[in-house]
Amino acid sequence: MRRPSLRWRLALLSATLAGGVLVGFALLSGWLIYQAKLERLDAQLSNRLLPLSRPANEEDPISPETRLAQELGLASQTAVAIALIDREGQVRYRSPWWPETLSTQGRWSEWPGATEPFSPERDPWLRRPSLNEPTIGPTTWRTSEGRWRIIGRVTPLGRIMIAVSLQSLHQEMAILWRIYGLTIPGALAAIAGGAWWFSGRALRSVDTLSQTITQVTAQGLHQRVPTTGMDQEFETLVTVFNAMLERLERSFHQASRFSGDAAHELKTPLAILRGELEQAVQHAEAGSPMQQTLSHLLEEVSRLSSIVRKLLLLSLADAGQMSLRREPVDITALVQEQLEDVALLAPELTVTAALEPNLEVMGDRDLLIQVVQNLLSNAIKYNLSRGWIRVQGKQQQGQVGITVANAAKPLSLEEQAQLFERFYRGNPARTRVTDGLGLGLSLAREIARAHGGDVILVTSLPSEVQFCLTLPTGGKLAPT
Amino acid sequence: MNVLLVEDEAKIASFVGLGLREQGFVVDHCANGQEGYDLALERDYDVVLLDIMMPGKDGLAILKGLRQAGRNVPVILLTARNELDDRITGLNLGADDYLAKPFYVEELVARIHAVVRRSEGERQNILAVGSLRLDRITREVTSNGQRVELTGREFNLLEYLMRSPGRVLTRTQILEHVWGYDFNPSTNVVDVAIQRLRKKLEPVAAAQWIESVRGVGYRFRSPEALQ
Repeated sequence: MRRPSLRWRLALLSATLAGGVLVGFALLSGWLIYQAKLERLDAQLSNRLLPLSRPANEEDPISPETRLAQELGLASQTAVAIALIDREGQVRYRSPWWPETLSTQGRWSEWPGATEPFSPERDPWLRRPSLNEPTIGPTTWRTSEGRWRIIGRVTPLGRIMIAVSLQSLHQEMAILWRIYGLTIPGALAAIAGGAWWFSGRALRSVDTLSQTITQVTAQGLHQRVPTTGMDQEFETLVTVFNAMLERLERSFHQASRFSGDAAHELKTPLAILRGELEQAVQHAEAGSPMQQTLSHLLEEVSRLSSIVRKLLLLSLADAGQMSLRREPVDITALVQEQLEDVALLAPELTVTAALEPNLEVMGDRDLLIQVVQNLLSNAIKYNLSRGWIRVQGKQQQGQVGITVANAAKPLSLEEQAQLFERFYRGNPARTRVTDGLGLGLSLAREIARAHGGDVILVTSLPSEVQFCLTLPTGGKLAPT
Repeated sequence: MNVLLVEDEAKIASFVGLGLREQGFVVDHCANGQEGYDLALERDYDVVLLDIMMPGKDGLAILKGLRQAGRNVPVILLTARNELDDRITGLNLGADDYLAKPFYVEELVARIHAVVRRSEGERQNILAVGSLRLDRITREVTSNGQRVELTGREFNLLEYLMRSPGRVLTRTQILEHVWGYDFNPSTNVVDVAIQRLRKKLEPVAAAQWIESVRGVGYRFRSPEALQ
């Protein structure tokens, strides 16, 4: 699977990081707030224990629960429950809403001094009047009615216990969690959005850079990326890139000048050789061994010239500098003319042609002749004995397509892949005449591509080889 | 016919000059661009051959200067450099033809005749050897009024042969002129085409005028030379 874009990852990463921090902070602060509230409650409760530990004043019209609830700021008196148990274990007072589960004997009996008779020697701290600390709890008990905070004290009279429902505290906490639950995702979305926007802004320089790189072809090497308005970090990159382009441009110009110079250097001696040989052929006695030798030499010079010419064309194509002299070319007529030669060259082959009349392209006639010649001469060269050649030409979707098919032994995948390689000739075992130069097909393709078309191998039946030349029709010219 | 050859490479100038003189041209040679330009302005030539890469003033500059000076003398460019570009520039500047090095002198002669013919308003349309008449405009071949039907290639082949009677033309020379420079030199297309041409010339008793030169090529001999 493809990795998501850097922008996405940055946004996601910052959101995750911030999310982790925020959630951690929320949990910690929530816990701390909860603890602080509990502590305050505990402190308030232990303050209330001492007055309660005195014998209840019967005339007091307000129940102790109500008073306590008011003092603790609780809305309902049922949130506070009081229980008083004497030293014999008899319940002397118990709020009606005292949670049933808190009364189980098992729970209280765990408390110190719960059931033993009072002994001032054993419990000297009980007499200390300033003593504020509870001897039971504070602790939180879970009951079926919710959580209760229990605090209690052992007095000479017995045990007194206050239980405060934590429901309201939990309600407060729930509000806090709700606030967190709303603000944290909002903050995360804002952070992710911010990171997305900011990374987009930061990457704009990279976009500019990649756009320029896309435009840089062999013809566009003179382009430079402007450094103005770039972030400082990217300025270095752009400077380095521009320097690289400059080096590339320089060496490219050197290379293309070299190929021009090399061609000149090769062609001049070839021209001399050819001219002198031509003279010598004229002056030699007609049909003499000398003249035959000279004419063979002349033939080799021709072959050499042809290779030099093809190499030069290929190097120009590689440099993207194959210039075309475009004119309207009647491809149908051009192919038919070349087919005349096929009949001369290989009379034993069955040639069928189905060409739509007047297929016209805007192209370089000389170069297009070469392409067609190459495809046809390949079809002859790699044919079976007494085989066939089928040529089709038609126009579709703004393109002229010329298909040249011939009978052949099946091509292996490896051979198919190598067909367009330079100096590739095909398996010698399969060629009837191995005098190809191995440059023709790759040159044909370069020429077609310079015209905005292509030459491709069409995979069809295994018993035939089929090449398709496509060229844009006259109206739609590819820019070159 | 007067020809000015502006070419800095001495050896090329030497064989081109030699080849042209052999075929009846009067050749002035000049190895420096500026001198060549002055000479072309000074004298009346039937055709000017310009090398493109030269010291002094290059071929394209001379051509441009000549055309700007209103001289319409036919110009053929000779070059070894990036031929596609030079060809386009040259033809746009008003060159009449273009020949890439290496070339055959025989081919150059054919081109000179062609551009001169064009500039002189097609006066030399008819090529006649013996009873054989070849009309370059109508592309008809007749012998004593009898027409010989030829394909396009056969016509070009016969024209090339008839233009240089008595001269030996090698297979590769014929191949390059008639079929274009990129045909595989070891094909036997020339021999097959010659055989067919001979067959078509048999009814007018001209088949034997195309003479085979063993191991080399062909030669067109007029009936007078054969006798």
